[in-house]
Amino acid sequence: MGINILSFVLNLFEYLFFGFAFLAILSYLLLALISIKETAIYIKKNSFVNYKDILSSSISPSISIIAPAYNETLNVVDNVRSLLSNHYSSYDVIIVNDGSKDDSLEKLIEAYDLVKIDYTINVKIPTKPLREGVFKSTNPAFEKLIVVDKVNGGKADALNMGLNISSNKYVACIDVDCLLIEDSLQKMIKPFLEAGDSKVIASGGVIRIANSCIIKDGKLIDVNLPTNMIVRGQILEYLRAFLLGRMAWSKLNGLLVISGAFGMFDKRIAIEAGGYDTHTVGEDMEIIVRMRRHMEELKIKYKVAYIPDPLCWTEAPDNMKIFISQRNRWTRGTIETLKKHKKIGFNPKYKTLGTISFPYWLIFERLAPLIEVAGIFYFIFLIIIGNVKWDYAIAYIILAYLFTVFFSIITIITEELTYHQYKKRGIGIQLIITALLEPILNHPVILYAAIKGNYDYYFNKKLKWGEMVRKGMSN
Amino acid sequence: MINLYNHIVEYLINAPAIIQFTWVLSVVFLFVIIGLIIYLNHIRKRLRSKERIETVYEKKYEQDLIKYLYSGNKDQEITNEQQIIVNYLRQCASSSLKRKLISNTLLKLRNEISGEMADAIQKLYYQTGLLHYASSKLKNKKWETIASGIKELAQFEIKEVHDEVLLHVNHPKREVRLEIQRYLVKLFRFEGLEFLNLLVCRLTEWDQIRLIEILKKFENQETPDFSVWLESSNNSVVSFSLKLTKTFNQYEAKDTLIKLLSHSDPAIRIEALEVLSHFGDIESFIILKNDFNQRTIEEQEVIFKIMESLYEISDVPFILDHINNENFEIKTSALKILKAIDDDEGYHLKTLTNNIEFLEKTNLNNAS
Repeated sequence: MGINILSFVLNLFEYLFFGFAFLAILSYLLLALISIKETAIYIKKNSFVNYKDILSSSISPSISIIAPAYNETLNVVDNVRSLLSNHYSSYDVIIVNDGSKDDSLEKLIEAYDLVKIDYTINVKIPTKPLREGVFKSTNPAFEKLIVVDKVNGGKADALNMGLNISSNKYVACIDVDCLLIEDSLQKMIKPFLEAGDSKVIASGGVIRIANSCIIKDGKLIDVNLPTNMIVRGQILEYLRAFLLGRMAWSKLNGLLVISGAFGMFDKRIAIEAGGYDTHTVGEDMEIIVRMRRHMEELKIKYKVAYIPDPLCWTEAPDNMKIFISQRNRWTRGTIETLKKHKKIGFNPKYKTLGTISFPYWLIFERLAPLIEVAGIFYFIFLIIIGNVKWDYAIAYIILAYLFTVFFSIITIITEELTYHQYKKRGIGIQLIITALLEPILNHPVILYAAIKGNYDYYFNKKLKWGEMVRKGMSN
Repeated sequence: MINLYNHIVEYLINAPAIIQFTWVLSVVFLFVIIGLIIYLNHIRKRLRSKERIETVYEKKYEQDLIKYLYSGNKDQEITNEQQIIVNYLRQCASSSLKRKLISNTLLKLRNEISGEMADAIQKLYYQTGLLHYASSKLKNKKWETIASGIKELAQFEIKEVHDEVLLHVNHPKREVRLEIQRYLVKLFRFEGLEFLNLLVCRLTEWDQIRLIEILKKFENQETPDFSVWLESSNNSVVSFSLKLTKTFNQYEAKDTLIKLLSHSDPAIRIEALEVLSHFGDIESFIILKNDFNQRTIEEQEVIFKIMESLYEISDVPFILDHINNENFEIKTSALKILKAIDDDEGYHLKTLTNNIEFLEKTNLNNAS
């Protein structure tokens, strides 16, 4: 009787793991196919767009770039200069100094001739109060710059302050250390201005990794592939997510995440939905889910747009500790968002959001690391009880590895045929080597970080953002 | 070794179907991966060599074209040397890549020079058969081919194909429509706006901005009467005409603009309001004040925002009605206007509003 039950449970697990792996592979392939097709269409259409037409237009809509800064003394002056050098005609830059303990504010005051001004703030979203106040430059060259100094409240709180301060219809929320490509604002605003029956509530672009790239005066001069394997693995991972995933989700109108590094929003909708949630570490995902939920509940047709062009370059963690801390935070952010909006899940009232996007994220993002670890324990248990069918195990492991490599190489080819950013001789072979090693070197670390994120979410509630030491991208 | 091979084959033959399938799939993946790596290597090489070839040909065509321009003779329409170059370029134009490179080089040179030489380049566009290739694209079934043909014809300012281009004005693909609109406006300036009479599709805000930026480049041009399109049944055409009216200061359209304050689309009403305020038209505010409460919140906010710079002393009673408005924007605008009106008039904010905290928050507390 006991043996029968054990055998039944083992069989059940076997089918469960097999079914999960099959569905995961199927979904990756399906999303990749849709993404490749959509990217090709986008590139074809984009070849007829002249972004210069809109560049100098005095009637193009104004945009506020909101960039929270916390203890960024090392690079804040250069980073702000980079943000001020965008080619778009009508925009302002709102730097929210979120209670920095260093001399970021003093450096900004000195570098940009800032003076404190009276500023009418419409507090549509509650935030921590101002500390030193609102500053503007006396130098006309920096008239686009607004610096807000407030009491520390975290990234989401700083972004909410930016939403309150902005007087423009559209806001671009970015990480202050990100490098924006010159025409990034034109490309991001385009979907809002082209909207037909469906209102565009947000748009997101591709984030690329800038480690080892040459940057001069806030401009990307030369693209290089770093030697650090942790960073290389992330490059491949970003390419997979942005080139072979998000474009498909955008097509299905099911995109749940716009990277916190660079995203543009319809300010009115963002405020109506309540702004950024200050109680989550995954505020970038949470605000999109909440804005979508808001639109679904109002029964207004809407869209979250996605631009496959590389628009923003950022520094990725290059050591194990910070890498794990970042992935740990992403995991906690996903859990928090899905838990907070569980009402949406499997709910046909929320259409694609409730029936496709949410279940996909729950099963293949939220639960995937847990299922994978369960699989490892199951395998260890089988070894202990001497019940491993080694021929099965080896065949499956090899197949899984080959599929991962196959998928990464498809990603590299897609990158070559679309944006071809890694032009230098020799990088192709380095990317292939990365594709071969990444499943062995990077994936276990990501899995560990995800499990730690789960543990911290349930048993270490005090943990918040974790540290991210910036080395700076200016060369 | 042979034993091992035999052992593996024997194992696979006797293995369960699922294992056989897994191994077959693995072998397939392995070969596909090898194939993809070879392909990746090939496309990287090809992309690099394509760049190299393009640079070489660009340089060569540029040299040929400069030679063509400087080997002319006043006595002959075309010299032998020029004819040789034309024949060579015509021959090259049969390849699509080379044709693209020749067009780009012609365009580059045409933008750099003017006068007779620019005319010679234009003539060369005809002589090399490039015009034929571009205009034949208009009959193609693929939208991208039609759009690229129109784009090139607009770049080389070929007016002869106007009627043929206009046939596609309501093409189902937006990209084709955009190229047509660009062609018409770039080549025929304000007359090109004739497409607005035929357009049934939507003209997005992006398209509108693009077209206005092209039109703004033509200085001292006589503008047509935009009010015809202000009454169009296509709301996007109305919106575009409002932008045109504002950009080109067509104050004569005032009566039609006032009518638009009652348009069914709130976005059009707001845009009309902004145009009227641009003209400093105080009269329209009398209408707006009368039915203020029937208007949307967005309209009310815009009305007050405009009044910040267009108020009159006689507006004070109306403004006083709104200093305790629930809407932050309206309330702030009302207080700002009162603050701007001389204190001698006796409008002391602290005595007028019941919300001193609000005044402090909005930095308006120093008004009285």
